[in-house]
Amino acid sequence: MRIDIEDLHVAYAGRTVVAGARLIAAEGEITGLVGPNGSGKSTLLRTVYRHLEPTAGRVLLSGTDLRRLSPVEAARHVAALPQERGGDFELTVREVVAMGRTPYKRAFAGEDATDRDLVARALADVGMERHTGRRFTELSGGERQRVLLARAFAQQPDVLVLDEPTNHLDIRHQVELLALLRDRRRTTLVSLHDLNAAASVCDRLHVLHEGHVVASGPPLEVLRPALLAEVFGVRAAVAEHPLTGDPLIAFDHRAPADGPSGPVEPAGAGIPKSAPSGVSEAGPGRSRG
Amino acid sequence: MTSLLLRREAAPERRTLPAGPLASVLGVVLLAALTAAVAWGSTSVPAGEVWSVVWRRLSGEAPRPGTNDLIVWQLRVPRALLAALVGAGLGLVGAAVQALVRNPLADPYLLGISNGASLGAVAAIVLGLGAGGTLGLGLSGAAFAGALATFALVWAVARRGGGFAPLRLVLAGVAIGQFLSGFTSYLVLRAGDEQQTHSLLFWLMGSLSGANWDLLAVPAAAVPAGWLCLQARARGLNALLMGDETAAGLGIDVNRLRRELFTVTSVLTGVLVAVSGAIAFVALMVPHVCRLLVGGDHRRLLPVSALLGALLLVVVDIVCRTAMDTQELPVGVVTSLIGAPALLYLLDRRLGSGS
Repeated sequence: MRIDIEDLHVAYAGRTVVAGARLIAAEGEITGLVGPNGSGKSTLLRTVYRHLEPTAGRVLLSGTDLRRLSPVEAARHVAALPQERGGDFELTVREVVAMGRTPYKRAFAGEDATDRDLVARALADVGMERHTGRRFTELSGGERQRVLLARAFAQQPDVLVLDEPTNHLDIRHQVELLALLRDRRRTTLVSLHDLNAAASVCDRLHVLHEGHVVASGPPLEVLRPALLAEVFGVRAAVAEHPLTGDPLIAFDHRAPADGPSGPVEPAGAGIPKSAPSGVSEAGPGRSRG
Repeated sequence: MTSLLLRREAAPERRTLPAGPLASVLGVVLLAALTAAVAWGSTSVPAGEVWSVVWRRLSGEAPRPGTNDLIVWQLRVPRALLAALVGAGLGLVGAAVQALVRNPLADPYLLGISNGASLGAVAAIVLGLGAGGTLGLGLSGAAFAGALATFALVWAVARRGGGFAPLRLVLAGVAIGQFLSGFTSYLVLRAGDEQQTHSLLFWLMGSLSGANWDLLAVPAAAVPAGWLCLQARARGLNALLMGDETAAGLGIDVNRLRRELFTVTSVLTGVLVAVSGAIAFVALMVPHVCRLLVGGDHRRLLPVSALLGALLLVVVDIVCRTAMDTQELPVGVVTSLIGAPALLYLLDRRLGSGS
């Protein structure tokens, strides 16, 4: 399944946050959404998982307007991993993952063998099958995100929507979570703050700025220093990652870019293209797809 | 990659009891407690005689003369059943409201409904609608009318964009509830005589002393109906615990669910407060304890909360009737005495766990 977002306008708390966004999340690809704070990433994603309704424009799920589907039908196709912590209600890891079966169950229906099997597989997929009886609120941030991902898997979605899934995770847990997204690949729409992570995990990026998509394409085409200066307001150089061959963005942390007139390096400048000899034994670039 | 993720020691399992057997045990204990509630009192009735009276009445046989038929059937059975129904209802309402406002320490009385019911009842007594200060049907009707009016008021104030944000609902409920209890206090102050003031206070503290068969009819219908309404939405309640966005992503119409839950819990709270006054702490404590016993899944939590709430109130009412020789205690006094320390213990446990 693919997602087409056409001229989407969404208001949140009385303000138009997404204003005419267009993008495509292609079948089987990991599509990244990047942009500064307040650019409308979360609001756009909330519209895809039906927390918010568009004020204008459409979200198409393989050609069908999302609003034509009932909430339950939509949830059988689209699973979400929002940025919420939830309350402390003594839910266990297994109970949280079993919630993924909600859109398939009628009132009063209990769990059947299919549900149990899917929940067990989802837990195994994220490596949490030995933690089923733990309290969800006792988990570390990384474990918690993996459990929420398992809940999304148990929902058997065609499309996975994730809102900053690596937020507040240490680097190891970020790497683990993104690797899971790549390994259990399906149509994915994910917003990410970390541009290097986005460049490495996403097949395609859309840059959101003030509610519009200002650039779309493969990471290497999109993440250019001029765009980073204009949209994010930072000076940056883009090189090839010495270990993976992905685009590597090196920021100038000393001063922000002062608008378009600020000094902006051309792509690839500043960092050598080839891996430094000290780290070259770490292996050749990872092939993607 | 997965093998890398597995390299972690498995942490301790959270110990919960299987809900089915626990519910069966609670059911049996509840039956025993109901029997004890009917048997014990100023006049003791043997348990065997309790059941023979109940059996004769249910099978339509004439009551045997010279027995305690009147005490058992007209006084104690309705009272024990009222305690069980009100306790079950409070357990259910507590569990649902805590999910509705996403706070495990929320009390349904936060939503102001009970204050409205109290004002209705107190107004009825002071204005002379209550027959001789007893918990008559007129008084219950006035209390329920007060509850419904307050429900409409809180709804109007808290509603925004088709739904209720948890915090907004609580703030609207607390504000309106306090406003109404100001009126209630004023009416209590200017109550005519000592007898009237006494019956007002007794009612405000929560009491089951008005129990009779007529009073039982409405809660006997409302509590099972409310349970079915909530049980049908158990998965939705679970999803609300995680957050509105999560619930929306699971295919739940969150605004609609909140409207339904607020309606069901308000009507049920109104019914309960109308027949027994605002009995403190039961709705707050019981779901909390049940979460520790069977976990947070509402498919198990709701029935277990209903059973434990019923058991708690039946037992507490036995204490209230038998603790003092000269007079009986309002049931709300005893639930407060038990509930406050229990709440402090649970708070300590919760804050102590570092979350």
